[in-house]
Amino acid sequence: MTAPAITISRLTLRFGPDQKLFDELDLTIEAGMTTCILGPSGCGKSTLLRLLSGSTEFDLAGAISFVPDTAGKAAWMGQDDLLLPWMNLIDNVMLGARLRGEITDDIRRRAGDLIAKARLSGWEESLPATLSGGMRQRAALLRTLMENRPVLLMDEPFSSLDALTRVKLQDLAASMTTGKTGVLVTHDVMEALRLAHRIIILGGSPARVLKTLCFATPPPREPDNPDVVGNYGSLLNLLLQEDRR
Amino acid sequence: MIGLRLLILAAGFIAGWQVLVSATGVPPYILPGPLPVLAAIVEHAPTLLKHLQVTLIEIIVGLLLGGLFGTACALSMIVSPLLKRWMQPVLVISQAIPVFALAPILVLWFGYGMASKIAMAVLIIFFPVAASFYQGMRRTHPDLLELARIMDAGRFATLRHIIIPSALPAFASGLRVATAVAPIGAIVGEWVGSSAGLGYYMLHANARMQIDVMFAALAILAVTSLILYFSIDYLLDKIIYWEPTQGIGT
Amino acid sequence: MNKSTRFMQAFIFGLALLSAAPAVQAGEKFTVLLDWFVNPDHAPLFVALEKGFFKERGLDVELIAPSNPNDPPKLVAAGKADLAVSYQPQHHMHVDEGLPLVRVATLVATPLNSLVVLADGDIKDIGDLKGKSIGYSVGGFEEILLKVMLEKEGLGLDDVKLINVNFSLSPSLISGRADAVIGAFRNFELNQMDIEKKPGHAFFVEEYGVPAYDELILVANRKNLDDKNLRTFIDGLEAGVQFLVNHPEESWKLFISGKRKDLDDELNRRAWRDTLTRFALRPGALDNSRYRRFAAFLKGQGIITHIPALDTCAVELD
Repeated sequence: MTAPAITISRLTLRFGPDQKLFDELDLTIEAGMTTCILGPSGCGKSTLLRLLSGSTEFDLAGAISFVPDTAGKAAWMGQDDLLLPWMNLIDNVMLGARLRGEITDDIRRRAGDLIAKARLSGWEESLPATLSGGMRQRAALLRTLMENRPVLLMDEPFSSLDALTRVKLQDLAASMTTGKTGVLVTHDVMEALRLAHRIIILGGSPARVLKTLCFATPPPREPDNPDVVGNYGSLLNLLLQEDRR
Repeated sequence: MIGLRLLILAAGFIAGWQVLVSATGVPPYILPGPLPVLAAIVEHAPTLLKHLQVTLIEIIVGLLLGGLFGTACALSMIVSPLLKRWMQPVLVISQAIPVFALAPILVLWFGYGMASKIAMAVLIIFFPVAASFYQGMRRTHPDLLELARIMDAGRFATLRHIIIPSALPAFASGLRVATAVAPIGAIVGEWVGSSAGLGYYMLHANARMQIDVMFAALAILAVTSLILYFSIDYLLDKIIYWEPTQGIGT
Repeated sequence: MNKSTRFMQAFIFGLALLSAAPAVQAGEKFTVLLDWFVNPDHAPLFVALEKGFFKERGLDVELIAPSNPNDPPKLVAAGKADLAVSYQPQHHMHVDEGLPLVRVATLVATPLNSLVVLADGDIKDIGDLKGKSIGYSVGGFEEILLKVMLEKEGLGLDDVKLINVNFSLSPSLISGRADAVIGAFRNFELNQMDIEKKPGHAFFVEEYGVPAYDELILVANRKNLDDKNLRTFIDGLEAGVQFLVNHPEESWKLFISGKRKDLDDELNRRAWRDTLTRFALRPGALDNSRYRRFAAFLKGQGIITHIPALDTCAVELD
């Protein structure tokens, strides 16, 4: 399936009688690229992601369209690895197929390949309780990739990890998600600058697009890359300003 | 380890019992000492064994059936909100009525054989199992359910692979409670009308003022209940391998 | 003993009872524990109480119905009450198990226990019980009664099916769950069944090989046999029986007076009538031979292990 572009037009979302999270919000996610949505806490970026995932529990007006239409098929990865404690590593990686009743030898082989690529070989039979935080988040990433969906939605997937593990996982994710339409929600400026083809900064109440950034170099970027260094300070200041409002 | 600790506790208990009897001079027809009770156990061993078998069957079958009904009830309440609305008050009421009051009615319906005792046990067991399992399933991590939805999982698949396993620790707690109270159901049932079983035998010995024999039956019942509890505990630990520190056996 | 000494004694005795069963109040009460809920079997006790026969002899008597029928003998043995209503067969067993109890008076001087069947059923004599189911409540004694009665017809306990129906004797008979019941009191269950329009027929145990015995007796703690209050109580009881025999109608009115108003129902009325002729006219008197005979019977049946000296088990107080 080709990776789609996602268009959000005139999105209005209410929560409570007088408050609007979004008011006629327009936003575009480019196809086949990783877009990072950056913003202060509570601005609505996680809610936006959930809307993209097809959640029906919100009372909204406006339209979210996928071009080409992927019938709403996305893969999700969150801050919590959500690994099922009673299943071992490879079973957790194959969770999607199991839930849909589609386990085949082919699926099993693919899972094994992904596990090898993530350098988790030998841990296939281990229970999540025996894995480190970094290994578990790697497993969650693999589970997301197994879904083989053109759209990847990630909600602060690496924020619970220590700095070093985070960098390693960011590199792994970047290498394995090429060609897909990725939407990564984060509040970590460095992470956004390292991983994004495009950064959208959300802020204000109701939330709106404050700024968009494009880059000369492709991700993943080293921390000393000029695109990173040049933008880090100004982005951080912008977020601090928004937060104080 | 658990074995040694149990032994020491048992020895301490028996010693304390002897001290109580000797110090207060309580007559044997009110509280016999451990030695007369032990003698009664040895003397009446075949009879005690015969009655133990009856009561044990009542307890185990009661546990199986009660566990089954409780599980089915909880599952049906999770699957159908309509059923839940109707069954929840029934569940609560079933606990408000003391089992002792229902015993004669059960005997009327099920007769004087084992069936009424099993029915009593089922009534006592059914609620802890149903309530804890239902609550456990209700508290499934909402993010897990969301993940399942995004992965296009069907209702049954979500139930089978996510909701039920995540509720098993809660279910185990309920089952442990049920195992602890199951003997009460069987014994109360026997008191109301039976011709066999440890409860009946206790009544019989009491009527003959053979209090040492009555305590012998009581002791056998207590030990059996303990063994049953630890067995179920061990089994549950094996089944719920991913949360090994739930039971009291460690 | 003059009045003030008796007062002191009763007062101290009352203090000693302060730690007793909750139903017992502090003070100079003479506590008598009944065997069961208040029923016409207790008539002489209540007549004596209401007519003041105890009070006029200086005794403040309290009659208490137990919550657990097994408790009264134990409580007297443990010193928590003065007298308990007991049953002669059970009393012999209690003495054998070492309880320090002694029979000091008789309330009901005939057996009341009987084997009951439906009057229109197919059991016309004991022999018809072969292969039938017999309901009983656990008293420890019923099997022996049954065994002796069956022996006369050449049957054994293996020829019948025993089912413990606890206290639902007539219901199990009427509903057909049991073909016969043992342990039914002839003055009660028969009337109960009559009222339910399902009359019963009773086989009286003493007519089928069981030696005659006193169904209801009063037992005291062996340590207290010197207590003059015991004899005083028996004197009051004797006056009660006397009044009952002479004035049955007025006695009934006394029985159902005050707090016992709800005892005024058809069953109690009929039971009262049937029990009148069975009360011991001389409550304090003891028939030595009768008690020895019954003890021998129990020993022969293996219910008790040895026959004690009579005065450790039953006495006639002066």
